[in-house]
Amino acid sequence: MSLLLLLSGCVEKEVLDDISLIEGIGFDLSENGKILGTVTFPLYLKDAPPKNQTFSAEAKIKKSFLQEIQKQTSDPIVTGSLEVVLFGKDIAKKEGILELIDAFQRDPGVGAGLYLAVIDGEAKSLLEGEYGIRGNGTFLANLLEHNIKQEEIPRSNLHLFLADFYQEGKTPFLPQLKQTSKKKIEITGIALFSQGKVIDVIPPEKMFSFKLLVDRFSEGMHQVSIEEGDAAIRSIRSSHKFELTKRNPEEISIHIKVKGIINEFTGNNLTSKMITKLEKQFEEDINKECLSMIERFKEKELDPIGLGRYVKTQTKNFDINKWRNTEYKNLKVKVTSDVVITETGVIQ
Amino acid sequence: MKVTIPENRKVAPFLVFFIIHSMQTGIGILGFTRIIARHAGYDSWMSIILVGIIIHILMWMIYKMTTIADGDIIAVHTYIFGKKLSKMVCSIFILYFCLLIVTVLRGFIEIVHVWMFPDLSIFWFALVFFILVIYIVNGGIRTITGIAFFSVVLPFYIVITFLLTIPYASFTNLLPMFDHSLTEVMKSAQSMSLTVIGFETLLFIYPFIKSPEKSRKWAFFSNIYTTLINLYVAIFTFAYFSENQLQKYTWPLLTIWKIIKMPFVERFEYIGIANWCLIILPNVCLALWCASWLVKQIFSIRQKTSVPALAIVCLASISLIITGETQNMLSDLTGRIGFYINFIYLPFLFFATLLARKVKKSETPS
Amino acid sequence: MFNLFKNKNKERETVKEIFAKSHDFNSFEFTNEKTKISFSLTFLSTLVEEKTIRECALPYLLEREFYKLEDAKQLLPLPDVQISTDPCAIEEKLLNGNVLLTIHGEANKFCLFAAVKDTARSITPPEVEFSVIGPKESFVESIDQNLSLLRKRIPIKELIIEEQTVGSLSKTRVAILYLDGITNKENVNTIRQRIKSIEFDEITDSSYIVQMISDNHNSPFPQLLDTERPDRVAAILAEGKVAVLVNGSPHALIAPTTLVEFFSSFEDYYLNWVLSSFFRLIRLFAVAFSILVTPVYVATLSYHYELIPQDLLSALVASRRAIPFPPILEALFLELTIELLREAGARLPTKVGQTIGIVGGIVIGTASVEAGLTSNVLLIFVALAALASFTTPVYKMGNTIRLLRFPFLLFAELWGLLGIVICFCFLLTHLIRLTSLGRPFLEPIYPLRKQDFKDSLIRLPFHKQSNRPFFLRTQQPNRFPEKTVKNEKKDIED
Repeated sequence: MSLLLLLSGCVEKEVLDDISLIEGIGFDLSENGKILGTVTFPLYLKDAPPKNQTFSAEAKIKKSFLQEIQKQTSDPIVTGSLEVVLFGKDIAKKEGILELIDAFQRDPGVGAGLYLAVIDGEAKSLLEGEYGIRGNGTFLANLLEHNIKQEEIPRSNLHLFLADFYQEGKTPFLPQLKQTSKKKIEITGIALFSQGKVIDVIPPEKMFSFKLLVDRFSEGMHQVSIEEGDAAIRSIRSSHKFELTKRNPEEISIHIKVKGIINEFTGNNLTSKMITKLEKQFEEDINKECLSMIERFKEKELDPIGLGRYVKTQTKNFDINKWRNTEYKNLKVKVTSDVVITETGVIQ
Repeated sequence: MKVTIPENRKVAPFLVFFIIHSMQTGIGILGFTRIIARHAGYDSWMSIILVGIIIHILMWMIYKMTTIADGDIIAVHTYIFGKKLSKMVCSIFILYFCLLIVTVLRGFIEIVHVWMFPDLSIFWFALVFFILVIYIVNGGIRTITGIAFFSVVLPFYIVITFLLTIPYASFTNLLPMFDHSLTEVMKSAQSMSLTVIGFETLLFIYPFIKSPEKSRKWAFFSNIYTTLINLYVAIFTFAYFSENQLQKYTWPLLTIWKIIKMPFVERFEYIGIANWCLIILPNVCLALWCASWLVKQIFSIRQKTSVPALAIVCLASISLIITGETQNMLSDLTGRIGFYINFIYLPFLFFATLLARKVKKSETPS
Repeated sequence: MFNLFKNKNKERETVKEIFAKSHDFNSFEFTNEKTKISFSLTFLSTLVEEKTIRECALPYLLEREFYKLEDAKQLLPLPDVQISTDPCAIEEKLLNGNVLLTIHGEANKFCLFAAVKDTARSITPPEVEFSVIGPKESFVESIDQNLSLLRKRIPIKELIIEEQTVGSLSKTRVAILYLDGITNKENVNTIRQRIKSIEFDEITDSSYIVQMISDNHNSPFPQLLDTERPDRVAAILAEGKVAVLVNGSPHALIAPTTLVEFFSSFEDYYLNWVLSSFFRLIRLFAVAFSILVTPVYVATLSYHYELIPQDLLSALVASRRAIPFPPILEALFLELTIELLREAGARLPTKVGQTIGIVGGIVIGTASVEAGLTSNVLLIFVALAALASFTTPVYKMGNTIRLLRFPFLLFAELWGLLGIVICFCFLLTHLIRLTSLGRPFLEPIYPLRKQDFKDSLIRLPFHKQSNRPFFLRTQQPNRFPEKTVKNEKKDIED
């Protein structure tokens, strides 16, 4: 009787060593207009680093390409361990990624901390490279993770992308990667989306200022030049504050606070007067860059910082359409910053 | 009809806290944030507080009624309507509790289907679950209270895991406040009725509480605690999701768990869902016990017979609900019936009791 | 004279004829030198200390003057000399190591005096509940010896020792101990009643008594605590519980008891309260770990691979690569091997047992990993779990813990994590419903009693333990008057 119970009550197993755990998926546009999907998963070997395996297949409906790939693998494919999803340049610019993301939203096995990224190039060729001693998927995820934590990419994953997408008054963004050689990948900027398609890319030099405006706390390195020499200042803590100072037309004051340490200085002695000068120069740099970035966003009808969202939180009965059509264009933004350099290193 | 219960079968007053809270916390809390946000947006945290206050008043009414009639719900009905009519009306409650059991358990199985095991056999799982429930109910109300106690204390750590979502949450989502009208707030309060019903069990277990006057403050604390937990969950949910995003997810609470990552577990939602089994257990047990106790009082059938019988009936109904669509319709139906019974019939009963007391007072010669 | 030995039976079989079949039944005739009266001594030589008769009884009986039994009674310098006319007493007393003295001429009277052979084991350190510090006495098989150990530890008149005889063949003496004026009379009455209603023939050990007077015979959890330490019994008697000692068993029984008590070793009271609280918590954690680790392994690997952290994933998959069995069979195989090792180690004589232990543990384990029958990760887990299950200070509970793992494994195989939770709910319900002597087994966790927490999961210092456990409902809840220390506000350098 209990044996009967055991047999009939059993559910489908996914035993660990009999499945292929996909770590990375890439989407490209194939020649005949279909979606080309690539998966990569590691083959774990005893006492050896895992070997990467990639499979590609074409399909009309986005996620059904996984069915096509099942026809090629010996172990069934599961998506529970998915760490990163990449979108090739063509698909991100032309088709848009929204429909592709829907499948991942719906799948209960996929984690919300999934990293998404846009590739300046082809996702397939990037996934077929050999990077690092762990699997490719883990490599990409780690690359993005430490850059988000300590460098200049603002916080980004599947959940945040969707939250930004559905948020009224904000447009989403994703980091952009590029494969520089068979064994190397580089971060080449932040891709800004509207309606699921890539409209603009923030270049690497401006990523620091962008992160200051978007994230609550951000670290990152910035180069500041004064006449006595150049300094590399590392921000260890930063914060930004929005303030709605006028309505009709709206005016927002953004105040940024940065606490930094000097990592490198090319000049001779670093006196306190020079430190003050550096601080002032840094503030000017930040203000200028942020302002020019925001103007560019307004021009392209993008709002990755979420100025619209901020105005919404301060306004009752906010009308999103009016904002999009007229008010955003007429928005005036003022940027002020306050830099404090706390440490200058061990030497003078 | 006065029933005398021996002292060693009664429950200590402060355990009423756990009974009420565990009965109110079921599967509703997993998805209610989406439903309340539909009407009142991110201002619906006010409806949570509103509902909490209303329930507070209702519980006060319950205590007043049971003190006047000196007994459980059958005693109250007998006080107002007389024996025969009260028996008829109370047998409806048997169906109500069976409906609750079916909704809660099938809802849980639905969640397991979507999130963990799509091919879990409804029948076999429900069978094992009911065997467990019968084992518990056969131990009497004391055992059920024990399970209620553990189902409140053991999963408490889940409350703390919410703090791990703070890096991804922006609490400014809640602004601007008071952006919705009072009608919208009240509509969303009505839509969360399935989440908070359960406190009416107080009416049924009243004779089993030692010194019921002492349990009053514990019942109120329990309601406040449930309201606070709902508020806590709602605020974190609203901070985590943007408004339109929230409407996309059927069970926002489970989706929040997806982002939680701890050093020794990569994905928390599986542990959370497995834990939820313990949380719904006292709901089903108490409902089954109440139904069988009513059967005993009305039809004089032994509880030992009616418990398995009712369990089989519920098991059969659960196995018949095959699709998620039917389950959604069922929960809506239960929510509506629960709303009418708790928020409309109960106050009516209360006023009827007061009226009956007045009539009885004027009948007896002074 | 032999008519004395007739019992009241219809068969008229004399007691002597039955006894005479045994080789150790001896009867000797003597004549007193002075009065020339002949008397005989009858006894069972296996029960009687011949030295006592030779040195303490015979010289007086042979050389001093006596005519009647009453005189003989005055002569003998022994305690417990009885003169009786009841033939039924003969059987009982002879079998208890008494010597029968009959005088020619006095037909219906006889004298019985005790000359019991003391064959008890000497007092050794406890084997099962060994403690590094603290007294190293343990109970022996002789109930009188044990009772004397206890009397020495509680030398007050309130310590009541009630005796009963249980078992139609074994006629085992069972003693119930409690403190009059402190212990709740209900508990004592329940135990007394239950022991009286035992119907059995041969009671060889206190564990028989346990199984017969337990509240729930079918539960794998022991509902009476057994211990072989007199210091522990003395302490719990002071708390207000009841102890039962059985002749022929070195284990004493304690009732009523709670689940938490099974995880407290008596050494906890000899260490500092911070240390002992820490160790108790470690023990509880070890028990939870030992029950759950293998089922969680099976559930995670079979159904929930997403739970495994990324870095551990490669180690796990690599270790399981070559294994032909699914995780459940692997786990069952290892668990059964550990059980076999344990059983074999318990049955083997000490000299051989050590070698087998080493062979089993090291060789079999390593070899099976090398051969690819099991993975090394699971081997570590199973070994740790087995180790953790041995941390329970009470042997009986350790067995229960080992058994509990298997239903969890089965449920984990069936429904993964959900199955584990359901099995846990079954276990929890069982514990909630379990009672020990009518008191809830899960006290003080449920029903919640804050004041009883001071000696359950943690141990508070002694000066905070002035109240006896609440659930015992003792007649005197206060153990000692609490000192009210006046907090004089002193500054640092005052």
